[in-house]
Amino acid sequence: MSRLEALRIKLERVPVLTGRQAVVISLFSIAFSFIIFSIFLFIEGANPIDAYANIFSFAFDPSLGLRTTLHRSLFLLFNTLAFIVPYTARLWNVGMEGQFYLGTIGAFAVAYSFPDLHPAILISLMLASGALFGAGYGALAGYLRGKLNVNEVVGCLMLNNIAFWLVYLLTVGGPWAGIAESTSKPLPQPARAPVIWYTPFTSYLVIAIAIVLFFFLSKSVIGYKIRVLGNSPTAAKHIGISGSRMYILVMTIGGAIAGLSGYHMWAGDPAFYMIPRPEAYKAIGDLTYWGIILGLVCLLNPIAAIPTSIFIGSIIVGATVLVRRLRLPFGLDVLFLGIISITFAAFQFFYLYKIRRMR
Amino acid sequence: MMWPFIARCLEIATILLLAAIGELLNQRSGVINVGIEGLMLLGSAAGFIVALNWGLLPAFIAGTLIGGLFGLIHSILSTSLRVNQVVSGMGIWLFAMGFVTYWADRYSGPLPRGIVSPRIYDLSPMFFIAVAIVVVIWFILSRTHIGLKIKSVGENPLAAEVSGVQVIRIRHICTVIGGILAGLAGAFLSTTYLAGWSHLPTKGLGWIAFALVMFSLWRPWILLSGSLIFGFVWQFAISPETIYAGIPAPLPILRMLPFIATILVLTAISMERFRKRWALSKPESLGEPYIKE
Repeated sequence: MSRLEALRIKLERVPVLTGRQAVVISLFSIAFSFIIFSIFLFIEGANPIDAYANIFSFAFDPSLGLRTTLHRSLFLLFNTLAFIVPYTARLWNVGMEGQFYLGTIGAFAVAYSFPDLHPAILISLMLASGALFGAGYGALAGYLRGKLNVNEVVGCLMLNNIAFWLVYLLTVGGPWAGIAESTSKPLPQPARAPVIWYTPFTSYLVIAIAIVLFFFLSKSVIGYKIRVLGNSPTAAKHIGISGSRMYILVMTIGGAIAGLSGYHMWAGDPAFYMIPRPEAYKAIGDLTYWGIILGLVCLLNPIAAIPTSIFIGSIIVGATVLVRRLRLPFGLDVLFLGIISITFAAFQFFYLYKIRRMR
Repeated sequence: MMWPFIARCLEIATILLLAAIGELLNQRSGVINVGIEGLMLLGSAAGFIVALNWGLLPAFIAGTLIGGLFGLIHSILSTSLRVNQVVSGMGIWLFAMGFVTYWADRYSGPLPRGIVSPRIYDLSPMFFIAVAIVVVIWFILSRTHIGLKIKSVGENPLAAEVSGVQVIRIRHICTVIGGILAGLAGAFLSTTYLAGWSHLPTKGLGWIAFALVMFSLWRPWILLSGSLIFGFVWQFAISPETIYAGIPAPLPILRMLPFIATILVLTAISMERFRKRWALSKPESLGEPYIKE
C-alpha cells in the first residue's frame, strides 16, 4: 500500500471490480469529461448546457438524428465485440480499422460482381464475404503474433495502414471508381440493407452476436480456454492449451466481426451506399478505435457493450450539431470524443485502486 | 539531381530518429508509450501554429513543451497511477487526433513565404542535431552511471529500488524526455518537412518509429541505421520518380511499402536465429507498472 503522508490518503487495491462499481466509475468519468469539454465550449463562447441539450436532443430525435445514431452506435458495437474477443485472451486487437476496410472490400467485391442476384442471396453473400475478408486479415495479425511473435499492436497498426491504401487503390481511379471524384460506384439497389424500425437489419444481427458472444465467452469450453489463456498464459500452457492456435482463433473471430461492420456501415446508411472519399472513409475507420475504449470500459462484457455503444454513438452523431447548428468551429465534435477517450483512460485507475482517507 | 531526394529521405529519417530515440529511452526505463503518434501530432500542431505567429525557434520550443507535457501525463498515468500503459497511450493518441483536428485544421495550408526553415545545402541541420541526440543517448545508456540506473529500472525495478535507485523518478524523467523528443519530431515535420498543415499529417510515421524501437533491439546504433532505411522507403513511396521514372506500381501500392517493410522486418527478427537475442535485449519489465508494496 503506498501512502501519501501529506495528504493523509491511502491507495487500496481493488481485488475484484463488480459491474456496479464499473458503472459508477464510468459515469464519473463521463461527468468529468463533460466538465472538461465545457471549458472548451466556454472558450468558443457557447453555453455548455445549451450545447449538451442540443447534442442529445438531436441524437435521439426520430426525425433528425435517431437513424444515424443507431447506425453509428451499432457500428461501434461491431468493433467493440471485435476487440473484446481477442482481449479476453489479452491480445490487443487494434486492427479493427484494417479488418473493417477488408470487410468493406469483401462485401463490395460481391456486390459489384453479381449485381443482379436476388437481394436475400446477394446480401447474405456480401455479409459472408465481408466476414471472411475481415477474418482473414484478423487471422494474419493473429498468425504474426501467435507463430512469429510479432507484437500485435504494431502488426495491427501496420495492417491498418496497408488496408487503408488498399481501399484507396480500388476506389480512387481504380476499378471501382465512380463518376464522382474519389468515391466508388454506388452499390446496386438489391445490395442495400433493408431497414427495420429506423435501423438496418444488421443492427439486430450485431445485437444477436453480442448475446451469443456473451454465452460463448462465459459458458463454452473454448470460451473457458480463451479466458484461461488471458488470465494466465503459464496455466494455459500446463493444461495443454495451445497459445498460438488460440491467438489465431480469437483474432479470426474478432476480424470476422469487424469485417461484418464493413457491410453495415456503407450499405446501411442511405447517405452512403458507396465507399466515400478517402478522408471520409478514414474518418469512419478512426471510429473503430472506440472499440478499444468501449471494450475496456464495459469490462469485456458483450452485453454491457450494447448500451455503452449507444451512448457514445449518440455523442458522435449529436456532437455534429455543434458545428452545423451552433456554428462552432470545425473539429469541436472530434475534440469532445478525444476528451472522453483520455478521461476513460485516466479513470482506469479507479478500476484498480480505491482512495481512502486516513484517520 | 539525386541530392534533393536524399535530403528529403534524411529529413524523414530525422523525424523517425527523434521520435524513436525518445521512445527507446523510455522503453529502456520500462515504460512503453504507444501514444507516440499522438505526441507527434500535438507537437506538429503546436509547432505549426506557433510558427505562423512567432516564427520557427518558438515553434520548436512549443513542440517540445507540448510533447513533454503529454509525456508527463502518460508517465503520471502509467507510472504513478499504474493505469495499463497501452490504454493510457491509446487514450493520448485518440485525444490528440481530436484535439489537433479542432486546434489546427482551421489553419490548414502551407506556411507563409516568410517562414523558411534554414537548410544547409538543402538539408535541415536538425538532421545533425538528431544524430547528436542519438550519440548522447547512446553514451548515457552505455557509458554512464545514470544509464546503468535507467537500464536497471527497466530490467528489474525491485532490485534497482533495493540498491537505492529511485525507480519512479527515473521512469518519469525518461518518459518526459521521450515525449519532448516526439514533440520535437512533430514540430520538425510540420514546420520543416511539410512546411504546412493538412488534416492529421503524421500518416503513420509515429507507428513506424514505434516499430523501429522494437526491432532495433533497443540499441541506438541499430535504430540510427533503421531510421535511415525507413526514411528512404518512406520518401521513395512519396516520390518514386526520382529513382526510376517509369515505376509501374500505382501510388497506393507504393504508399503501402513502409508498412509492408515494417511487417517483414518484424517477422524476420522473430526468426529462431534472432528470437533469443531479441528476448534477451528486451527490457525485462517493459510495460509493467512498478508496484511498491
